[in-house]
Amino acid sequence: MSFVEQAPVLIVILPLLSAFLVNMVGLINRRYCLPFAILGIFGSFTASVITLIRIMEHGVIHYRLGGWPPPFGIEYVIDHFNGLVLVTVSFVSLLAVIFSKESIKQELPEKIPQFYTLFVLLVTGLLGMTVTGDAFNLYVLLEISALTGYALIAMGDNKALVASFNYVILGTIGASFYLLGVGHLYIMTGSLNMANLLTILPDLYSLNVIFIALLLILVGTWIKMAFFPMHGWLPNAYTYAPSAAGCLVAPLVTKVSVYIMIRIMLSVFSPLYVYSVVGLSDTIVWMAVIAILSGSILALAQTDFKKMLTYLIVAEVGYMVGGAWLASSSGLTGAILHIVNDALMTLCLFIFAGIVIYKRGGQQLQDLAGLYKKMPITMAAFTVGALSMIGVPPTAGFFSKWYLILGAIDAGKYHFMAALLVSSLVNAILFFRVIEIAYFEPKVDHHGGDSHKVAIDEAPLSMLVPLIIVALSLIVIGLYSGDIVTNIIQHSVPAGL
Amino acid sequence: MIWQLDLSILTLIVICAFATIMVKDLLSAAIIFGAYSFLMCLLWTEMGAVDVAFTEASVGAGVSTVLFIAAVHQTTRRVGFRKSGRGLSKAVGLVAALLTGLVLVIAEKDFPGFANPFTPASLHVSPYYITQTLHDTNVPNMVTSVLADYRGFDTMFETAVIFTAGLAVIAILRRYKKDDRCDLPDPHVISAGYPDTIIRFVARQLVPFIQLFALYVVAHGHHSPGGGFQGGVILGASFILLAISYDSRMIIGRMSEKWNILLGNIGVLIYAGIGFLCLLLGANFLDYSILSKVLPATDKIMARSHGMLGIETGVAIAVMAIVVSIYINIVSCGKYDKDE
Repeated sequence: MSFVEQAPVLIVILPLLSAFLVNMVGLINRRYCLPFAILGIFGSFTASVITLIRIMEHGVIHYRLGGWPPPFGIEYVIDHFNGLVLVTVSFVSLLAVIFSKESIKQELPEKIPQFYTLFVLLVTGLLGMTVTGDAFNLYVLLEISALTGYALIAMGDNKALVASFNYVILGTIGASFYLLGVGHLYIMTGSLNMANLLTILPDLYSLNVIFIALLLILVGTWIKMAFFPMHGWLPNAYTYAPSAAGCLVAPLVTKVSVYIMIRIMLSVFSPLYVYSVVGLSDTIVWMAVIAILSGSILALAQTDFKKMLTYLIVAEVGYMVGGAWLASSSGLTGAILHIVNDALMTLCLFIFAGIVIYKRGGQQLQDLAGLYKKMPITMAAFTVGALSMIGVPPTAGFFSKWYLILGAIDAGKYHFMAALLVSSLVNAILFFRVIEIAYFEPKVDHHGGDSHKVAIDEAPLSMLVPLIIVALSLIVIGLYSGDIVTNIIQHSVPAGL
Repeated sequence: MIWQLDLSILTLIVICAFATIMVKDLLSAAIIFGAYSFLMCLLWTEMGAVDVAFTEASVGAGVSTVLFIAAVHQTTRRVGFRKSGRGLSKAVGLVAALLTGLVLVIAEKDFPGFANPFTPASLHVSPYYITQTLHDTNVPNMVTSVLADYRGFDTMFETAVIFTAGLAVIAILRRYKKDDRCDLPDPHVISAGYPDTIIRFVARQLVPFIQLFALYVVAHGHHSPGGGFQGGVILGASFILLAISYDSRMIIGRMSEKWNILLGNIGVLIYAGIGFLCLLLGANFLDYSILSKVLPATDKIMARSHGMLGIETGVAIAVMAIVVSIYINIVSCGKYDKDE
């Protein structure tokens, strides 16, 4: 066996195997769970990086599971696009699992083995959805990531249970829509392999049923990614989830759903079909504009810091859906780059929220007061994340927004550009409000002592290190985004756009 | 294909679906839902999908009904809908459902005819499976070979889904603190007040036969409908039968929580492990043919058959343990062991 050759499947199998090991060593001693979880995810990250490098050198990789040729067996297909998403997903999961160490000890000390098993299985599900070239295999992994997501969120308090129940109902409806869409395609073509579908479908483009299959799949992925107005489940679920679970679920689940939408658009249906034959672009870009504006306005109304972040996710989903449907190459580039950037930015902000909850026991905006003096390093990293959310150069957030705006201009969709600018403005207001509270208002001292002698009280190292790494990566990706676009993303944007 | 039969079954299914939603008594809803599953099972059989029908009967009509009843027993029989402020969301839901229905009806116009042998679904990949299964894998039941070999990777994750479900139930319901007691008098006894000698005797006599049948279903899955999922569910159901006719402590004494978790893990690990072994031996993941290197007197084709038997066994072990674990967690309010 050669590790490099088998790397595509190891991306998924290593975390899967480690999930069961985590669960079994948990029966012996809870302290062994974390190392096995880290090991599994780290292995997956290594395999993803190796795979991406191989793709950049040799092009698209195909891997036949069970040795069966497609369309009879299941096939993994990794091109530049999902290679990049795989690295992002495994990188974010790795940082999230390291962060979870102290947080989970405080929040869920009794259920550590269950937590880490579900955690690693969720990572498996997300990676499996990203790597596959088979529309039904994607659904099976969608089930895994959904089930584990529901359970991880429900492990919070009673509010989390109710939020998770709403998520179960809506998530199941979303998954059913996706399955129904794939079922329609199967009835009409007899195939489940994406590449195979891409070659069979053009003859059937004139039929209503193909359009309806596309609609069903789109609505399914939209519910899963909380695209406004199908976002109802997201804010509460992500707000009340245990911090460690939130750090994994919030950055990745919506982003992988966006990936699935783009993958289905480009690799099952063709760019020709989704952009030209079907006249949906205008409508969906308008929906994205409404999503961005509503998410931003709802975020303004929140006093709960974490809930504010969840509404920002709703707005960011609008960015990516709109970018993907602009039907311009810069728009699609921006959407793909934003999948990476938004995953990292959200991780940065959710780790920060997790640290605040760990240290202060609350997640309201006033719980942040005086943090700049108490935790200077944490706040520095948070500031990078916040600047990136606003879109200040040289942080990563600026560049994806730049491409999205270019795409909007190319496509002549100025309302989308306006929405992006308004949303940046709202983000600026939101985060400067947060920074103001954390910087200028000292925490009320009940003993009446002077506030000059504030001892530095930083978060534990296992929380601080992932936060610093993700903040640095936001700057590094910002500086190198030109290279990422020309060397990786350009290859996955169809030429004709 | 008898259309009169199809039509009457389908009508009953729709009636059952509405009744499940409308009925106010949750216990009745669970029973009607079980009837719905049995009708589905009839429909699958009538259409020739016997393997699917078998799964529907054992999982849909069998175990999930029992789990629903256990959950109702531990909570309440009455629906507690809030009456006020729901008008708008109900209207939105109704419009969305009608719209979806309309779209599906429009799509249906382009479908090939029902039971038409010349549909894409029966002409594209199916002929390959039908003609090549025996030649490729030496397994006469092509449903098993598609499930466990051609698309075995999906099935591995389906098993992982079952495992995840069991784990999710533990993660949400299980309570470890001693003071965090369930307020029901004795949650372990679902048939409280009826220590019926006849029921206990009959259940005890039946269990060995049920288990023997389950093993047959697992082992004979290559040649006839059945396999790991169905066999595992039947095995689990035999334990649940004992738990209902006596009380769940009787099962906990034989299958402790640790054992259940361990068996669940081992079951899925057998599946993933066989796949990984193929990879270590130099083939792709789950390519059983390479197992001929380690199995005595086995050629590449027979190795696929043996590989499938191996993973089916793993599936059965995992499913059995998880079904029992879910049942005990629900019925004991997450307390599980008696001496805690």
